[in-house]
Amino acid sequence: MTSTYVPLESTKIATNHQRAWAKSLQQQITSGATYAFVNADTPHELFHHMGLPIVTNQWWSAIIAAKQLSEYYFDYMETLGFHDRLARYSSLPLIAELEGDRERQPWGGLPKPSILCARQSADDHQKIFSLWAEKTGAPLFLFSTPAVPDPHPDWWRMGRSDWETLYGGDRLDLMVDEFKELIAQLEELTGRPFDHEGFASYMEAINEQERIYEDVSEILATAPRSPIRISEQIPNAMIPQWHRGSEWALSHARHFRDELHERVKAGTAVVEEERIRMMWIGAGLWFDTSFYSAFEESHGAVFAWSMYLPFAADGYIREIKGDPLRALAARVSAMNEQLHQPPWINAWMVEQAKKYRIDVALLLIPEHDRFSGHGSLFAKKALEEAGVRVIEVWSDMVDQRQWNREEMTARVSTVLDAVLAEKGV
Amino acid sequence: MAHASSLQSKGAAGTLLDRAFEARDRYEPVAPLPRVGIFGNGFPEILVAAAGGLPVHLSMGRLSSTADIDEVIEPFVDEEGRIFLNRLMNGEFDDVEGIIFARDDAPALIAYQYATEWVRQGRAPKAVPPLFLWNLVHTQTPAVERFNAVQAEKLFGFLERIGLRRPDDETIAEASAAESRRREALKRLEAAGVSGATAMRWRNAGRFMPAAEHADLLNAALADAEKVENKSLRIGLIGSPLASPASYDVFERYGTIVCDWQPWGAVWPRPGNDKTTLADILRAAAADPSCPRVSPTTAFRQALIEAVVNARCELVLCQLAPTDDTFGWEIPALASELESRGIAFVNLGFREPDHETWHARAAALISAKLGA
Repeated sequence: MTSTYVPLESTKIATNHQRAWAKSLQQQITSGATYAFVNADTPHELFHHMGLPIVTNQWWSAIIAAKQLSEYYFDYMETLGFHDRLARYSSLPLIAELEGDRERQPWGGLPKPSILCARQSADDHQKIFSLWAEKTGAPLFLFSTPAVPDPHPDWWRMGRSDWETLYGGDRLDLMVDEFKELIAQLEELTGRPFDHEGFASYMEAINEQERIYEDVSEILATAPRSPIRISEQIPNAMIPQWHRGSEWALSHARHFRDELHERVKAGTAVVEEERIRMMWIGAGLWFDTSFYSAFEESHGAVFAWSMYLPFAADGYIREIKGDPLRALAARVSAMNEQLHQPPWINAWMVEQAKKYRIDVALLLIPEHDRFSGHGSLFAKKALEEAGVRVIEVWSDMVDQRQWNREEMTARVSTVLDAVLAEKGV
Repeated sequence: MAHASSLQSKGAAGTLLDRAFEARDRYEPVAPLPRVGIFGNGFPEILVAAAGGLPVHLSMGRLSSTADIDEVIEPFVDEEGRIFLNRLMNGEFDDVEGIIFARDDAPALIAYQYATEWVRQGRAPKAVPPLFLWNLVHTQTPAVERFNAVQAEKLFGFLERIGLRRPDDETIAEASAAESRRREALKRLEAAGVSGATAMRWRNAGRFMPAAEHADLLNAALADAEKVENKSLRIGLIGSPLASPASYDVFERYGTIVCDWQPWGAVWPRPGNDKTTLADILRAAAADPSCPRVSPTTAFRQALIEAVVNARCELVLCQLAPTDDTFGWEIPALASELESRGIAFVNLGFREPDHETWHARAAALISAKLGA
């Protein structure tokens, strides 16, 4: 049933670029260059625009997990006296730092960052980053995170231009003020002034990049059969996202879109006889990404959707309206919340499932990363009411100790068998 | 004085405080005031009192039966949030004018979001009262001060919408006087030599009655309270919210709880409640070091250690709700800091649903530490 899957050229380009970037960054920072260690939902744009390299906590976490090191570090975490129900995804780099053996870590570890930055979106982020600051002595910049009291469900529509209404003027005022505080710190750190005019152009470039991803999402959603695996969607969306607004990122986004377009035009598909379309809800299963292709041959079932690609457009395109810092606040001030809190998560999942013609959703529920797990059962209920079968995956994105591939494969297969029977296949 | 006629007999005030604690949000205070529900720690109750309402905490109730909303509550949602949401959807809070949720208290934000979404989807009973998110940020910068002032304005608008008056300088000063009397009475409670269990019950009884009534009852109760046997070991209690007298009884087999620094302990009423102006209330509330989200991030641990040291604790007991994802990050540093000061530290770990098992384990851990 499965044709020999040929990876995209774009994927190789993206991963090569990231490898080269990582190597260059490693050389820079080990030679004493400054860098920032930041959470994924912070305004990377400010660091990029100031020319200060960043390492993203969740990206670094995924790298450590992909090196099959998470088990070692989480066992070590417990020996330190941290209990086993604390967050994993956002803490894995901290534990590696506390463990201290840099040779064990990817790249030979990270040196002391010049600044740490997190948003208080999850209650534990400030604790994790505070411990990092205590260990390294690096200053910590924390963004306040008041909640949105009256969240409109269709955030992905309103967020583009009516963001003042969606996120609230008082919240945006606060975030812009805190941006200015961070900018002042970055100016001091880099010895360079913040170029406000250039920042507007930079924000426009990011919007342009994300609009390309909007096209890509449209191609993926409307293609008769899924043309690529999500294990290729993710790097082609996320690696440019870590470098958003750069010439390379824009150029890569275009190349990816064009290659995908050609592939669809040629009728190329992940599986010749695609019978079931699935979505993977939640962060990637970083230690076992081959799971995403596990049902292609047995059931003609393909994972057609993961959040990273469609979120590029829905989560990032923010009309500038002559105020790039405020537009950035609109992008950042509820970035992660949109993926985890009702009504945002349930409404978006249903919209995306319909758009991508999804039959079955696998819903990752990381019970020890509560912020990422909240709202899961609202999403499940909404999807089921929309006619999508939902399989709960109580696991963790980086802790393989909780993952039993055989058992999960059996559970998913049972559901897929039933779906095929219903479809009369 | 409230309850004047009923407090003639010895021990009557203490009995009333115990009854109020036991009844929780079902307690009926002497003065019938419009009831405003509070969910979560960190909201300055004085602002509801200044609006002519009675702030009633809804986070300590018990669950009698589940409602449909239970199916969307994940097992890692805090127990107080689960109980509240089920009770809310069972119509148990029909008698409150509105409910205020403290954003910076973990269970409260989730409770607010799940409740509002259930209502938005049209699945809630019609009787759900108006809900309000108190978005106060726990940091002290000019930007945050401006933001918090806006939140106070939003709160005042909400209070007016639910039929209360807009707090002003005069009503805030009046409410502050009552809160100050309560604070004085609570100071006497701390110094009275009663058991930690009694102090916890009598303090938390005040979450369900006006500050003045609470102060009166405390003063009356303390006048004839019996001091507990002076046990030599001074105990500090920290960790997740705990309001179980049975657990206190187990801990106090080994000494007396003299520093109760868990969220349902002596950190309530939170800072700001005895201030006389809105600006001072907001400033004090924003700097509350007992809020786990306070920034600078070191303030929380520093304040905890300071409280334990000032109370001359010899043993600190840490206990956790099974859903903890925040306090646990503090434990290794706390243990190390306390032990370095010669204060014994016992991490009792997660509380278990079976109280007997949990209490037996806690007792064994404490005994082992003390016997070591």
